Amino acid sequence: MPTVNLPDSVVENDEYERKYFMKKLFFMLCDCALRLYNGGATGRMAVVCIHKEDTMKKFGIVLMLFCMCFALFAQGTKESAASATEKVTLTMGSWRTDDVEQMNNLLAAYKKIAPNVDIKFQPTNPPDYNATLRLQLDSHTGPDLMYARSYATGQELFNAGYFADCTDIPGLMTNFTASNLAPWQMPDGRMFAVPFAAVSHAVYYNKDIFAKNGLSIPSTWEEFLSVCDKLQKAGITPLANGVADEWDILECFFLGMVPNFVGGASERVKYESGEKKLNDADFVAAYQAMADVAKYCPKGFESVTYNDSQVLFNTQKAAMFVDGSWTAGVYKDATFQWGVFAIPAPKGRKTAICFHPDMAITMNSATTHPEEAKAFLAWLCTKEGATTASKNLPVGYFPMINFEIKLDDPHANEFLALNAGKETDARFVWPALMDLYAPMNQAVIKVMRGEITAQKAADSVAALKK
Amino acid sequence: MPKQRNSITPKGRYWILYLLPALFFYVIFMAWPLLDSLRLGFFTGNTPATRSFIGFGNYVKLFTDETSRTRYWGAFGHTWYFFLINMVAQNCLGMLFAVILTNPTMKGREFYQTVVFIPTTFAVLVTGYLWKLLLNPVWCGDTLVRMHLGFLARPWLGDQSTALTCVALISCWQWMGIPTMMFVAALRNIPEDCIEAADIEGANAWQTFWYVKYPMILPVVGMITILTFVNNFNAFDVVFATENVNGAPSYATDLIGTLFYRIGIAGQHPIGIPDAGMGAAIATITFFVLMAGVVPMLKYTQREA
Amino acid sequence: MVRTLHQQHRHVASHFVMVIWCCIVLFPIWVLLINSFKTRLTIYTNPFWIPRRWNFDNYRSVLREGDFLTYFKNSLIVVLLSLLLVLIISSFAAFALSNWRGKTSHGLYLFFIAGMMLPIKIASIKLLELVRSLGLLNTIWSLVPIYIAMGLPIGVFVLTEFFREVPHELTEAAIIDGSTYFRVFVTILLPLVRPALATVAIYNLIPFWNDLWFPLIFINEESQKTLLLGVTRLFGQYQTDWSKVLAVLTLSAIPVLVLYLSMSKQFIKGVTAGAVKG
Repeated sequence: MPTVNLPDSVVENDEYERKYFMKKLFFMLCDCALRLYNGGATGRMAVVCIHKEDTMKKFGIVLMLFCMCFALFAQGTKESAASATEKVTLTMGSWRTDDVEQMNNLLAAYKKIAPNVDIKFQPTNPPDYNATLRLQLDSHTGPDLMYARSYATGQELFNAGYFADCTDIPGLMTNFTASNLAPWQMPDGRMFAVPFAAVSHAVYYNKDIFAKNGLSIPSTWEEFLSVCDKLQKAGITPLANGVADEWDILECFFLGMVPNFVGGASERVKYESGEKKLNDADFVAAYQAMADVAKYCPKGFESVTYNDSQVLFNTQKAAMFVDGSWTAGVYKDATFQWGVFAIPAPKGRKTAICFHPDMAITMNSATTHPEEAKAFLAWLCTKEGATTASKNLPVGYFPMINFEIKLDDPHANEFLALNAGKETDARFVWPALMDLYAPMNQAVIKVMRGEITAQKAADSVAALKK
Repeated sequence: MPKQRNSITPKGRYWILYLLPALFFYVIFMAWPLLDSLRLGFFTGNTPATRSFIGFGNYVKLFTDETSRTRYWGAFGHTWYFFLINMVAQNCLGMLFAVILTNPTMKGREFYQTVVFIPTTFAVLVTGYLWKLLLNPVWCGDTLVRMHLGFLARPWLGDQSTALTCVALISCWQWMGIPTMMFVAALRNIPEDCIEAADIEGANAWQTFWYVKYPMILPVVGMITILTFVNNFNAFDVVFATENVNGAPSYATDLIGTLFYRIGIAGQHPIGIPDAGMGAAIATITFFVLMAGVVPMLKYTQREA
Repeated sequence: MVRTLHQQHRHVASHFVMVIWCCIVLFPIWVLLINSFKTRLTIYTNPFWIPRRWNFDNYRSVLREGDFLTYFKNSLIVVLLSLLLVLIISSFAAFALSNWRGKTSHGLYLFFIAGMMLPIKIASIKLLELVRSLGLLNTIWSLVPIYIAMGLPIGVFVLTEFFREVPHELTEAAIIDGSTYFRVFVTILLPLVRPALATVAIYNLIPFWNDLWFPLIFINEESQKTLLLGVTRLFGQYQTDWSKVLAVLTLSAIPVLVLYLSMSKQFIKGVTAGAVKG
């Protein structure tokens, strides 16, 4: 390989270039830093960079150093600001992005009682909630207050040390029934959250369409199917339910209906202990019921999402919608009369309602303001607090506290009235069988699509029970 | 021809200076956190308090447990299918567009080029939601029937047999601009004399392309293939936006990316308890699969150049 | 002449193909735009045509309830800064790697490339702790180093390729004339690889701008949110109202789209220019 011996002048040039470059850089740095400080427009700077290619590189290096200084500088100012005031700001995390308006009203009402505490409601979208909450808790940057999921999910976060022990919050153990406390209670009796709201499940129906077709509320499952049949023959889609979002068909329809077929809480524990099998005749009948209603769902229900269902009901394209009480607010301005009735049980069985404890609020065990957070939770356990909370809850959420609270909305009261004289239970899989949520969900969807028989569906879920 | 090196070439120490900033950011913000997370593949438990070492336990469980196994191989197969559709639709069409757009006598090229790149500027979430609406029979079904196009009113995203293909095509629609742009750049870099020589020899367009242009842009083709391959194996957003994290319907659109998210970060809905160790195990396997695909491809296309 | 006819024939087919593709691209965008001006229920009754009654309320409430200008400014700062730094840092690194032959260099190259293949999401917990200890949590500056690290692999990958393509004679000639490697790098080589720089910039611009994951876990403060993070909260709020969702989508898509359309001439020129003519 040929080698070239360069004259010494070139070699010296090399080192000189390097030294000269460092000097140039230093002066440019000072110059630009001063200009930026006076001009104060980082964005403009950056835009200028794009157009001036040859000076681009120089500005880039300067910007980088400037930003590192800025980051350190910014940190300093934030700290000084916090220590200046006495006001306490708490953050509340939640998955209910739909409730921003109402929660802000509720928190404003609390502010009247505790003026120096400002609680900010910062919800995350439901699909992202679990993951982001987890990450934030893991790195000690979670919100001060947050919604707690019930049973296993909440217990796991408590075991990991993220939720504070709420057992000794004044009013908690005394103002709620045992069954209302249970979803947020550890096996040893400690509470990890304050129960906040429960939801119910029922069939929304279009009163006008029913009247026009001379239909009345069905009292048995068989009558329900014949109502659907009559509606379909009249050219109206009977049910608005779809399976695209997957969770709604399980949580609202199947689990809302299951207590009718297998019984309430007292029967559920038999399934949990293994005394009764998950593929017994009652369960098979339940899956079969889902298969039977599939033909009454909209054409192309495989693609109908939860929101689409609401639209179908709202535009009167579908006469009924089996859904949870939390969407009652959506139909507030409906142009037609609507009501709710309980999902009827098959002939000879008793109708039971799935009244599910859905939300509780807890505090972060690593919060920097435990006193203020605890005070808020204690307020929720008092009569005044719970009443104010209920007044501001979105329609379809029901307070779980012992006190008699009258709700304003007629439809909300309609929902509550359904509970009268019926056994209630939480959603079947929630207390102890959450691992079966996904398989059961898939089984219900497959059965509705006609891909498997009801018996096979029940067997597939039963096989996975440990 | 190997590049000549002479004694004026600086030694390694000089080059290290150039590499320092890159190494700084890369090691601190990517390499070290990633390696630390890969280490998690040998542990179980979600918090430092509950973590315990189980060796290859996660890997064993992934391939022997019934549910885990079906989910993993399902996601694996779907990801390969997704990649295939992307290669055929996105890259071949991209090549076609690039050839059309580098035709010097064609009018309106700039307009077409601009339009081709527009979807790429959108966020995946935006395209996902948009196409979710477009493919929804509830939204346009009645109108389509009125327009005598009723056969289009199918539940495209709800039907197991069409869902994955639709999602893959949506991804192609979005990213078409990138291969087109890179192929255009590569084709323009081909020296004029080569094309002229082929013309003089009497080659037609097809022959010119296959025997002259294509070999010269092979490195770029290789690069695009590698990038497509890697991105598809990490694809997550498009399924997240059009379907849900479970890869509905019935896991038909479940990809490795969604599987990883579901197991390692978010946990199965609605339980929400992830298994960070298992997630890390899946990520490690994905890494090796990718290496196994990329390294031979790199060697092949680099050598040809 | 046969050739002219051939060329004409090719053009008809080419135009046909491109027009079809343009329709496929523009139709969804048309749907997006016009439906954002309808109400919740009329998008179902009138999906494809222009609205019978234009409804501007969607945009009004979206702009009121989301602080779009702040989100936009934040995104702009983060993305431009990250892109700039990625270009500078990776071109330095690529220059070094393309010129330095040896086992270490090859190893480092593979080390950088490996970063393209792992989803950086799995390192989220570690990154969160890191960012917190640097005191950058809840600020937009937390995103910059992450994006730089994310953009480096592809930058190094593409630029090394292009640097290798440049004939060494060019560098040699300049060195013999008395220049340093650094000078050669800045004045000769960088302009030559402009298309590669443009490619890397564009390739990274989209994920940086549209990234949702890291802003989601690093930033909770409203004033520091990036555009996409800010709008996703609105998705949840409006999920029962598609017309509002479409308005949000349009607003979040417009910035980059307008930027792209206004710079498309330069962009195309930049991408297709700078060829090494024989």
